[in-house]
Amino acid sequence: MIEIRIHGRGGQGGVTLAKLLAAAEHREGKSVQAFGVYAAERSGAPVQAFLRIDDEPIHNPNQIYEPDHLIVLDPTLISPVILGGLKPGGWILFNCDQPPEYYAAQERGKKFRIATVDARSIALKYGLGSTSVPIVNTALAGAAARLLGMNLESVIDAFGDFGFGGGNIEAAREAYESLRLQRSEPAPGEMHRPPATVGAAHHLLDENTGAPPAVKTGQWANRQPAWENQTPPCNFVCPAGNDVQGFLAALNRDDVDGALGVLLETSPLPSVCGRVCPGFCMMQCNRSELEGPVNVRALERYAGDHGQAQVAAAERRAERVAIVGAGPAGLSGAWQLARLGYAVTVFDAGAEPGGLMRTGIPSYRLPRQALERDIDRIRALGVEFVGDSRIDHERLDELAHEFDAVLAATGLQRLTSVDLGVDLGRGERRVMQGIEFLDAVSRKDVRVDGENVIVVGGGNTAVDAARSAFRLGADSVQIVYRRTRTEMPAIPEEVDEAMDEGIHIRFLTMPLQIAGGDGHQRLRCQQMALGDADESGRRAPVPVPGSEFEIPCDRVILALGQKADLSLLPEQVELHQHAPIEQDGAAPVYPAGDLLTNEGTVTAAIGCGREMALLLHERFSGEKRYADKPPEASVVRADRVRLHHFAVHRPHGENVLPVEDRAGSFEEVHRGLDGIEEAHRCLSCGVCNACDRCVTYCPDGVLHREGDRIVFDYDYCKGCGVCVNECSRAVIYMKAS
Amino acid sequence: MSTQLVTGNHAAGHSMALAGEANRTARGSVCGIYPITPQTEIVEYVARFPFSRGRVIPVESEHSAMGVCIGAALNGARAFTASSSNGLAYMAENVMVASFYRLPIVMAVVNRTLGPPWNIWADQGDSLMFRDFAWVQLYCDSSQDVADTALLAFRVAEDPRVLLPVMVCMDGFILSHTSMEIELADQAQVDRYLPPCDIPHHLDNAHPFTTAGMTMPDETLAHRVDLGEAMARVPDVFEEHRAGFRDVFGREVSGAVTAYRAEDADHLFIASGTVSTTLRDVIDERRARGERVGMIRIKMFHPFPADAIRRLCAPASRVGVLDRNYAAGSGGIFWKEVSMALQPRGDLLVQGYLTGVGGVDVVPATVHGVMDDLATRETAGAPVWTGVKR
Repeated sequence: MIEIRIHGRGGQGGVTLAKLLAAAEHREGKSVQAFGVYAAERSGAPVQAFLRIDDEPIHNPNQIYEPDHLIVLDPTLISPVILGGLKPGGWILFNCDQPPEYYAAQERGKKFRIATVDARSIALKYGLGSTSVPIVNTALAGAAARLLGMNLESVIDAFGDFGFGGGNIEAAREAYESLRLQRSEPAPGEMHRPPATVGAAHHLLDENTGAPPAVKTGQWANRQPAWENQTPPCNFVCPAGNDVQGFLAALNRDDVDGALGVLLETSPLPSVCGRVCPGFCMMQCNRSELEGPVNVRALERYAGDHGQAQVAAAERRAERVAIVGAGPAGLSGAWQLARLGYAVTVFDAGAEPGGLMRTGIPSYRLPRQALERDIDRIRALGVEFVGDSRIDHERLDELAHEFDAVLAATGLQRLTSVDLGVDLGRGERRVMQGIEFLDAVSRKDVRVDGENVIVVGGGNTAVDAARSAFRLGADSVQIVYRRTRTEMPAIPEEVDEAMDEGIHIRFLTMPLQIAGGDGHQRLRCQQMALGDADESGRRAPVPVPGSEFEIPCDRVILALGQKADLSLLPEQVELHQHAPIEQDGAAPVYPAGDLLTNEGTVTAAIGCGREMALLLHERFSGEKRYADKPPEASVVRADRVRLHHFAVHRPHGENVLPVEDRAGSFEEVHRGLDGIEEAHRCLSCGVCNACDRCVTYCPDGVLHREGDRIVFDYDYCKGCGVCVNECSRAVIYMKAS
Repeated sequence: MSTQLVTGNHAAGHSMALAGEANRTARGSVCGIYPITPQTEIVEYVARFPFSRGRVIPVESEHSAMGVCIGAALNGARAFTASSSNGLAYMAENVMVASFYRLPIVMAVVNRTLGPPWNIWADQGDSLMFRDFAWVQLYCDSSQDVADTALLAFRVAEDPRVLLPVMVCMDGFILSHTSMEIELADQAQVDRYLPPCDIPHHLDNAHPFTTAGMTMPDETLAHRVDLGEAMARVPDVFEEHRAGFRDVFGREVSGAVTAYRAEDADHLFIASGTVSTTLRDVIDERRARGERVGMIRIKMFHPFPADAIRRLCAPASRVGVLDRNYAAGSGGIFWKEVSMALQPRGDLLVQGYLTGVGGVDVVPATVHGVMDDLATRETAGAPVWTGVKR
């Protein structure tokens, strides 16, 4: 009986080689037995296969411990144990590109014979396997056939059992021909020649340690992992351009000041945004797939209210910039430019900076001290405010000649109205605009106690007006909106709270006309139904014929939206994103905020103000300080986050003023978080947070941390992909190689 | 019939597929399949087989795989499946239902160590956990034995005197993944050997009835007595169909027990599965030295061939039982059954040995150690572990 043991690594085809040779010997009339022993079922793990060949039937079910010969698919698999079991004088058939004389024909006193065949090159030549992991078993089958004295055709015929053809057959033939045998004794006729050695023979084992030589196992990889931060969806969507993940990461280091610092890079108004932002980041938060989005808004508020930041302006530049409008866009522009060293003067029609944040957002949502905290930080940079200074078309032109550049951020000054059959005089008791009502509320200049108030509209101004009326002691407050809750642009939480406060919302209701006089005033309405989608993508309301009805009311407040007043700007100007208005002999005018975009949120205005300010800076300095929008493909959505790695933790809500305490009071409803624990819920999607699961789980220890990066040792990475699967946040991914 | 170089898994899949196909003229065949190492190749083979009248149904668990077989057999189909190790443990409830329903289902079991710790190598603990589940269990010692026993299993299971399910067991990897030459049956032979499957109590729309509903204690007791009587008839039926197998295939399929050089043996060794192959070689070696040693290979476990073992052990003074399984707290399961069978022989020393538990290779040196221990010990004692490294 001949017993052969094959040593390979998972994926190299050693077990199949045993079965191929068995099938070939079977064709030559031998009894055969072939089987494998599998270790860890993993690419690269050592695998043994066994082959018995005999003229008699074979019964022995045991593994082969003392083989007659070895076939080794990878010389680095040789160990003292393997050689120790080999019978003296046995052949070792190696897959390697060295001549057999390269190796010493004995190890620790035991003699054996060596045959080599460059099966790897042969497999590559015939396209067997991949270029990184060639499959060498069919070539070795050809070589082994020669060593075993088999007819090569038996081997090739046996290939048919396995469905091997084409290149496998060519490889077997070439290996059969190119097998090189060690001449342990000189052949007859060659006695006068010295032994054909190539330099000093190399020992299979390290002389001292008995260890096999090192092998760069990375050569087996057919793919490689890579580490690169991606884009979290919160950062991608934030209209202000905030590094949401970044400030949450700072909070997770208990660094509240650092968190504020991250926010102030992009926005001067964290205490404001932390109260009034609709939370675009929260709407896209991947944590929603678990138990709910991270309460980013409340955490921003916490950082804004509790953090301390040292903000300094760069060296003063020569250029002077006029900013028209001290709302969020103007303040954002002022913040960026002042920090860059520009002399900034901000003009506003109001007495104090803040724009609608001061006059249009009621203090129960945005207390004035929160606004002042953010504005004081801007003042501290040396920004000059000029109040009570309404800038019209002519004055803007003057500014464009007095200053080196103008940033125009006047917001949405034109109020949308509707003809209800009555005049809309300023301060008109029966019908007034929501923006004007809220301004009057902020100045404590309006009373609605005992009145039945109807607010028309579905945006934040409508909800703010209704909730303000409720606080001022109105007898009843109703919102009339011509679409449904789904289409309402107001922040959903605000709508919920309004309803909690007893404000009734009449959906699918269109106001037509005010009827009756003082004391008997009624709003005539019509029932609507939702029709097809309009240009905004929302389903348009259509009247239901014959559905008119009347609601008694003392006051109607219109909150139907605002538009930009472009009369300020040079005539016949067309607004383009990211481009100033140029006029001969005058400084460039940069439109910014709602005037330009009509987005209608503080957050978007901040983002636009910053972008236009940095564009302005680029013009004067040549320095580009804004980043281009990352591609959507870089955004790590929930399907790429390993959500199952995370335990469920319910979101932390803010403390809230009880409903029964809200009537008659403009005390702030949302009271903030008690601490920063909520930040721990951040999944850090697409951004490495040094959790080092990859380092822990890499089965080969071929990656490690260097500072904030993970570095791979590709010489030894087999591309198993464990790190990719263990990376909770898609920072490690597989690249093709 | 042809000699081919195939694995034990291939042999089992081939025989079960041909048996299923053989029932195409009756109510067809059904195989519920769910993969688990090392049996997966069996169900893969069956799934590729082009049945004329049969369904291979991939399901979500072993429990359902047996559930499919139960439903199919209740409708008169020839039903079969395969499993291993923890998959069998998950299947357990339906394994019991199959036999208590008296359904002649055949299941190939590739014996694999139960986890944890996770281990894929041979150990009979998985099928032996069903010792009391009224299945006939047959332990094979070669791939040829697997191929032939799988066919014999259908014949025995479906015999109207039996109507019990049968497990055909083989050592994981040692047989399941080892290529050797064996003779594989062809369809014509199997068609001749296996008559159409006729399950007398299969469901019939024309004659509706309820099966295995709630029964009172008296009726359940009668059911158990019936089970026992059916089990008791298995050895004779098995021998009858073994003879029929020889007529059709022209070769022997091994019997419930096989004695080797036992007739004059003073020391007898009892084993099952592939351990018996190694044992046989060592016996030859020891016989050459003049030692009076012999062996008995047990193939059938439950009904346990106690009479045959008593008869074959008559000349011996000492008996060693080699178990590739371990019931913690007692010992090898075959050893306990053998001890029970030999209880009337008070003069006999019966010693248990735990060999190859957890898939450890049972090599000749292991067997020599067992033989030396049996020869030198004064009394029987607790089961002896072999091959322990720790």
